[in-house]
Amino acid sequence: MPPKIFRILRSHFLIILLCLLVLPPVAVVFFAVAGMVNQENAMEAAVSSYVQDLAESMAYHLSSDDDSWDLPLLGDVSKYPFFSWGPSIPGWVALIGRGGNVIIASPGAVNIANIWRDDLPVGEAIKIVGKDGKEYTLAIYPLKKSHGYVIAAVSWSQLLGGLVIISRMWPLSVVVITIGSFIAIRLLWSMLIIPLQNLVDEINNLQSGNDTANKNFKNAVKEIDSVHNALLRFSEATVERDNLRNKYVRDIVQAQEKERMDMAREIHDGPLQEVTALVQQIHMTLEDDEKSRPARIKRTEIIARSVVRELRSLCDELAPPWMDLGLTEAITEITDRLSQVYDINITADFNDEAQELEIDNEIILSLLRIIQEAISNATRHGQASEINIKLTKNNDLVKLDINDNGEGFDANNISMENLRIGGHRGLASMTERMNLIGGNLKIESGVNNNNKGTHITAEFKI
Amino acid sequence: MKNDKVIRILLADDHPLTRAGIAEFLRREPSLDLIAEAEDGEKAWDLIQDMNPDVALLDIRMPGLDGVSVAQKVKAANLPTSLIMLTSYDAQQYVIASLRAGAKGFVLKTVSPKDLTAAINTVSKGGLYLDPEVASAIAEDDFIPEPLSVREREVLLLAAKGLSSKEVAKKLFISERTVQTHLASIYDKLGSRNKTEALLLALKYGVVTLEELLEDDE
Repeated sequence: MPPKIFRILRSHFLIILLCLLVLPPVAVVFFAVAGMVNQENAMEAAVSSYVQDLAESMAYHLSSDDDSWDLPLLGDVSKYPFFSWGPSIPGWVALIGRGGNVIIASPGAVNIANIWRDDLPVGEAIKIVGKDGKEYTLAIYPLKKSHGYVIAAVSWSQLLGGLVIISRMWPLSVVVITIGSFIAIRLLWSMLIIPLQNLVDEINNLQSGNDTANKNFKNAVKEIDSVHNALLRFSEATVERDNLRNKYVRDIVQAQEKERMDMAREIHDGPLQEVTALVQQIHMTLEDDEKSRPARIKRTEIIARSVVRELRSLCDELAPPWMDLGLTEAITEITDRLSQVYDINITADFNDEAQELEIDNEIILSLLRIIQEAISNATRHGQASEINIKLTKNNDLVKLDINDNGEGFDANNISMENLRIGGHRGLASMTERMNLIGGNLKIESGVNNNNKGTHITAEFKI
Repeated sequence: MKNDKVIRILLADDHPLTRAGIAEFLRREPSLDLIAEAEDGEKAWDLIQDMNPDVALLDIRMPGLDGVSVAQKVKAANLPTSLIMLTSYDAQQYVIASLRAGAKGFVLKTVSPKDLTAAINTVSKGGLYLDPEVASAIAEDDFIPEPLSVREREVLLLAAKGLSSKEVAKKLFISERTVQTHLASIYDKLGSRNKTEALLLALKYGVVTLEELLEDDE
């Protein structure tokens, strides 16, 4: 089919469907009624001429033997087989005397009184309704010497009974079919089309990530229902995914804000105070006498040097410049520094393969941050006095072990989620950093076992 | 009679270097007497109660109790000590918060000895002193602002209290547009760029008094 027809079919599907379903039954009804009317007319004509002929020929026969007919009837009835077994089609003949009395009748003749009317025409077929409500076509012919009449009749209900019922059933059954079609269309409409339209509306209006599909989706057929269920699951999954993403972004933003606040606090408490002290010293220098001025300048210089130191360490903390030295040197540098800062013993060991390891700065930074965080946790929370760091490389597997002799914690009872929510991002961000470089991080810690302290293992492949 | 006496001072600052710098100056100034030093808010509060200094210099940011909280306690206890905030923060909101908490002065730690002496003297006499740097960008010493109308003063005080234009309008039974017109006129008269600055300048020029600002709080 050309695409245009498809287009019309698609856009006017319902109307076309309705027409396809309704038009044939209507046509069938129309033709059936027309056919029936025609058939009835034909039958009527045939029956009329039949009864007329029958009555006429009977009257002729009987009249030719008129001599032997007398009243009361004396003739040989057996000469007229008609009267013994009746006409060949459903109906009957009877000979009626002048007074209306039945002289002789074929089997099946009804009670003449039922259909007798004084105004019945003679020599012409007529269709009448008897007193019993049934239809008859009958014809009356007189005998020659006015001995009586021959009456021939066909009962419509006998002749056409079955045919009439069947032909009248036809339109009825077509009407039933039509009603059935309507009901089918109605069901199609309410259970298929409307739910489909609702589904389409819903999909159109669904804001991905914000809305879930309507849970009260009713009256649809199973197939649409399962499409809707799929939509429901899909929309719920999107909402969940978006929530997760939002939560993650919120986490990151919070972490950024916290970092900025920490930074601001460090600048405020460190360099800012010291530069303020510098300004104060300069103010005092102006008021000093010549004698005390050199000592003042010396003091000012000491404060200025202290500011430089503070700023340098701040920079180191923000982005360790010694990262460029390579991983093992960077680890040695940071452990040396941190062992001074926290005043604890930190050792760093590397196997031969690890000594020659060459990796991206990004990974070095991640490992340094993990070491920083681990050392900070071990000293601040675990009161550790000794920390061992070991970096080993075996073929393509790099492994970083950090052991401390601190108090440890119940690692089983700490969920990353709670840590994150509580703003303690340390452990969570250690794990995330490893995940980012395609590795994994394992934390073992126990408060009860003999092996006290915390053991962190970070592994990744290169 | 306080005028003739030496002014007794308490200094509270958690940073040793800046505390030492200011302490050295205070000790050198004969009209001033540094009677105590505190390195945190709790200790400052205890010392103020024990020693009743004439003036307390409070750092806003201190471990434990911060300077604004100490000021609130002093105000609540109705102690005679006049308070000056001594801080590294120049945010005007801090100035407002400090003044609401009962401080009479707001001075940056980089203040010159001359200005610090002036601040202590002003405050000990019951006056109000704001660091020139806090509102100085636009303020000129010899600037005499055009007086505010009664309505403008009302609008300024309500706005300074933190009410939005809509809320001010509702409170004064005028339209929001009128409030904004008043504010624009206030800014113009005082030479300010925002509500807080307008209030600080109004305080500085004596267009509104500190009492009015505090009254507003209730």
